[in-house]
Amino acid sequence: MLILKSFEPYLFLLPSIIILFAFLFIPLIWNIYISLHDVSILTIIKDWDFIGFENFDNIFSDPNFYNSLKVTLVFVCGSVLLQFGIGLLIAILLNQQIRASGLFRTLFIIPWTVSTVITGFSFKFLFDDSFGIINYGIEKLGLESIGWFSDPNLAIWIVIVANTWYGTPFTILFLSAGLLSINPTLYEAATIDGATKFRRFFYITLPLLKSFILTNLILVTVWTINFFDLQLIMTNGGPLSSTTTLSLYMYKQAFEFGYFSEGAAVGILLIIMNIAIAFVYLKLFDVRNKK
Amino acid sequence: MKQNLPSSFVSVSKWFFAEKQVIYILLFTYLFITLVPLVWVLSTSFKSNEEAISLPPQFIPANPTLDNYLFVVTEPHIVHSLFNSFIVSIGSTVISVAISALGGYAFARFQFKGKNILLSVILGLFMIPVLINIIPLYIMFSQIGLLNSLLGLILTFQILIIPLNIFLLKSYFETIPRELEEAALIDGCSSLGVLRRITIPLSMPGFAIAAVLAFRFSWNEFILPIVLANRPDSMVFQVALYEFVSLYSIEWGYLTAGINIALIPILVLMLIFQKQMVRGLTLGAIRH
Repeated sequence: MLILKSFEPYLFLLPSIIILFAFLFIPLIWNIYISLHDVSILTIIKDWDFIGFENFDNIFSDPNFYNSLKVTLVFVCGSVLLQFGIGLLIAILLNQQIRASGLFRTLFIIPWTVSTVITGFSFKFLFDDSFGIINYGIEKLGLESIGWFSDPNLAIWIVIVANTWYGTPFTILFLSAGLLSINPTLYEAATIDGATKFRRFFYITLPLLKSFILTNLILVTVWTINFFDLQLIMTNGGPLSSTTTLSLYMYKQAFEFGYFSEGAAVGILLIIMNIAIAFVYLKLFDVRNKK
Repeated sequence: MKQNLPSSFVSVSKWFFAEKQVIYILLFTYLFITLVPLVWVLSTSFKSNEEAISLPPQFIPANPTLDNYLFVVTEPHIVHSLFNSFIVSIGSTVISVAISALGGYAFARFQFKGKNILLSVILGLFMIPVLINIIPLYIMFSQIGLLNSLLGLILTFQILIIPLNIFLLKSYFETIPRELEEAALIDGCSSLGVLRRITIPLSMPGFAIAAVLAFRFSWNEFILPIVLANRPDSMVFQVALYEFVSLYSIEWGYLTAGINIALIPILVLMLIFQKQMVRGLTLGAIRH
């Protein structure tokens, strides 16, 4: 009985651990194995040949890979800056003494409850080159309508706009939680000491919000790097691969061209990128801390 | 001095008033941007496919019709995918809440060796992007015969949900006073008996949040199902909506009606659990 007692918590945790290891951890390790072998739609049921780093060589000699890196940079920077900027602004506004802030908060969450398929199609419809209401509005203003999805320089920005609409509620919620955690007496004390609104923001709000901001930025950046739902739904990577980010490039290698092992190799590069980004953020915030 | 005081008072209150106005203008602008895409989709869903893409766009449909909805709920393909979505989402919700409740309870109530390490391992696993697993999962499933099966989807959805829900339920269990459970233990109840008679009934609101989150993830997930189950008989609704486009070369009337049908279950849950959701999302707002 006593022995059973000490095993009990592990028994409680067993189902979660089995599932997480079977479907999260083992595939992660197996991904490394696949990336070092020759696995394609043709060889998937045969024995896989060990080919070392050949898959990585193939990727590094593919111009589309370098293009996807450039697209990723634009997509990630644009999405993160917009989501963070708008999210921080709205969270701060909601934290002021305003009427119906609860109602605003509830309505602002709506995009977060919607699927990426719905988001993608809704924005595709709004920005359609020929019958979208955005172009209709632009023509009404006497300007020329814009080929949002046919211009390789513009298409990625429409995906970024859709992604911002979809992702900003998370930042609003996350930073709102951070703002609520700040003790209001700090503001009262600062006000009595004669601090202006802006000083209170820079000397109280921002420093106390820092750990929330850091976590938020890491999460949103990493998600955005790995995210390709909207690109797949809205543009399928086009026109001329101008919306094919690295994550979509990985998906296409595997499931469009059937090169599973090359896709797996891109997956490894993505993991390295994720870790590097988190590391850079931690360093950046650390340096500021010491100053 | 005497004249200065009132005039500066006026300007301060003017500035204060203006500031409030700016706040409301910004909030309403953002609200407008938030709602416009969905309102426009809602309005389009009551138009015929031709009217949906005709110019000038009419906000109120000229000839409102329910044909699009009739099409979506009578097309056997789509109805089957809706059915699949409900099975997968309900199955994955029930399993994930049960499993995470056990895990969360262990973390909230027991002291055991390696507790902190296990907790950080589970939270760490949570940071692994699921996307990177789609290729090995696809190959794994094709070898063990789980490809194009609803069970395979239910199992893989767990990796999206379990870490978040363990964390959420752990913090919920910690709000329930320990003394209640200890009293029952002294009276001779077993640990599982305590869980069943005391902890579970008291934790229902926590389970509700966990269930709504799990349902939302399962119902909305797109990448895992399009990779792991894209055959007509195992397709879920989100994938069916996506397939719609190539099949019917985007009939926007049908598609917008499909979108609204996809929104209904989530909106209903949101309305019922509105208060708990905002709290739950803030508490455990971790996964996209």
